[in-house]
Amino acid sequence: MSTLEFFLAGTLSAATVFLLAALGELVVEKSGLLNLGVEGMMAVSAAVGFVVTFETGSHIWGFALAGLSGVVISMVFAVVAITFLANQVATGLAVGIMGLGLSALIGREYESRTITSPADLVIPYLSDLPLLGPVLFQQNIVVYLTFLLAVVIGYTLTHTRLGLAIRSVGEQPSAAHALGFPVYLIRYATVAFGGLLAGFAGAYASTIYTPLWADGMIAGRGWIAVALVVFGTWKTGRVAFGALLFGMISLGELIAQSMGARIPSQLLSSLPYIVTIIVLAMISTNKARMKLHAPFSLGEVYDGSEGR
Amino acid sequence: MIKKIAKRLATVAVAAVMVQNVASAETLEVGILLPSPIADVGWSHALVAGMDAVKAKHGDKVNFNVVENIQEGPDADRIMNKMVGDGAEFLLLGSFGYMNGGLKLAKRNPERSFVHASGYKVADNFSPFTAKYYEGAYLMGMAAADLTKTKKLGVVSAFAIPELISTINGFTLGARSVDPEITVDVIWINSWFDPAKAQDSAKALLANGADILFSNAQDTPSVVSVGEENGAYVFNLNSSMKEYAPTKYLGVVKTDWAPFFVASVDAHLAGNFEGANQWLGMQDDVVVVEDWSDDISAEMKDKIKAKQDEIASGAVHVYDGPLTNQAGEEVVAAGSRLEDGAILGIDWHVEGINSPLPK
Repeated sequence: MSTLEFFLAGTLSAATVFLLAALGELVVEKSGLLNLGVEGMMAVSAAVGFVVTFETGSHIWGFALAGLSGVVISMVFAVVAITFLANQVATGLAVGIMGLGLSALIGREYESRTITSPADLVIPYLSDLPLLGPVLFQQNIVVYLTFLLAVVIGYTLTHTRLGLAIRSVGEQPSAAHALGFPVYLIRYATVAFGGLLAGFAGAYASTIYTPLWADGMIAGRGWIAVALVVFGTWKTGRVAFGALLFGMISLGELIAQSMGARIPSQLLSSLPYIVTIIVLAMISTNKARMKLHAPFSLGEVYDGSEGR
Repeated sequence: MIKKIAKRLATVAVAAVMVQNVASAETLEVGILLPSPIADVGWSHALVAGMDAVKAKHGDKVNFNVVENIQEGPDADRIMNKMVGDGAEFLLLGSFGYMNGGLKLAKRNPERSFVHASGYKVADNFSPFTAKYYEGAYLMGMAAADLTKTKKLGVVSAFAIPELISTINGFTLGARSVDPEITVDVIWINSWFDPAKAQDSAKALLANGADILFSNAQDTPSVVSVGEENGAYVFNLNSSMKEYAPTKYLGVVKTDWAPFFVASVDAHLAGNFEGANQWLGMQDDVVVVEDWSDDISAEMKDKIKAKQDEIASGAVHVYDGPLTNQAGEEVVAAGSRLEDGAILGIDWHVEGINSPLPK
């Protein structure tokens, strides 16, 4: 595999971790909630996914239970933030930190173990194309499904009644309530969905992308996912673009080094974060545009009992 | 259910009291503080394996209190203070960043003994210890030179600190002592701990033409398993990861801390522990190279063995001149040797390494 092929193909698989988690968080934020616990949810489900796959040898079970564990952790957030009306930032952080500790506990006996990742899905004929073949048509099935999911979520949010319900809950929950939307139910559902995707992202990280378990292996990728949602100004296409960009930067850094680039590696290592800061600064200079896309009630506590 | 819990708590309490009693009966309490989880492989594992030799020698006369996975910082200081408060007489501090907190504690408790990994500060009862990894890496370089076809070797490395730089230099010098055409690519991931990044780096090195990988100070088998998957020979430091690369494992530069730990504990028990900078290598039986790949030619194996004996006896030194830096300037003249202090603080790469050194 040439360096260019590796770079482009690797970008897609690196982006998948970010994109899965970011898509989940996007839906959550569209419904007006800010769940900062993504890193912790990913860590727990990475541990669960690894342990299950290690013990059963089945990647499908690993993914299923990892997704489930993501949902369970996200429900802790949902109960505290939605039902008990707690501050969402504090709750999300607490759940995230709890998740990191929990993941260390779950993976305790499995530290530094490895498994084999499933074979890539090679699409016949197309994969023989020069350059495009290995890049686009020799990836893990999860990579294909994730990008497909991005399209589905993008369409659902903008073109369906369900998407309208989620958005209206995120913009103005009391108005949505008056219109007859079950605000709490919708928010519980979006948080669970976010947990599910964070769970899949964790499982992808620990069983396919880097098929081993080591405490702390998520290493900040959950935080990048949260940043990506803002980076993409709450638009699915831009979030997907951001995920690809981040995948590309994080991999490009390593390739630049391997080719002997005369750039300090510390600078290269901090590049993804520098880019985030620059883009966030650029986006927020245009306040009107920022307001247009950000869910109006994002992060605000909504007490459904008041309106009754 | 509640009864059960109460019962369990009671047993724990009784056990705790018993431990206290045992402790008072002439047992040496040993506190061990580790930066990462004790896995089946890796840094913390190697430290604990070394302490097991102390246990084997003294049996019930030593009692270990092991706390693992503690980040460098205030938390570590708190825990080591508590260890001393609980009666630990001998402490093993397993990470560079425990240095300042540990040293303060040592100065307040002159009757207790401390050994500290990777540091450089010394006190009467505080010994930093480091391994001369470069000695083993030199031999690995020779083996790599025997097996490489592309004449390109790849290193995935954590941080550009002297300990790691000197190891990469040793590896390069060993490889180029066999074949001066060999070049080495290095990727600094600037993290002790990011298996995903380590694996991506390993793949990037392979894509760029390297066919031998060196996992430098990566505690997980991340790089090692990439080597196996892609058919590239791979080696690592500290403890053997052969099971993760059964067919492509080049070998391990192992650290066997047992001789040093046993000697230190014995010295403490005899009351003559003296703090000193313990920089240990093959001569001290601390750096051990083993699990050699069967694919290395017999001829090269003999050469490696001969070199190993020369290094261990002190006849030959890895940093014997002439040594040239990346810019092609001679740093150490023929006939002279780089001083220990210069190796401990090394901030330059030898000729043959393509990648620039982050400053």
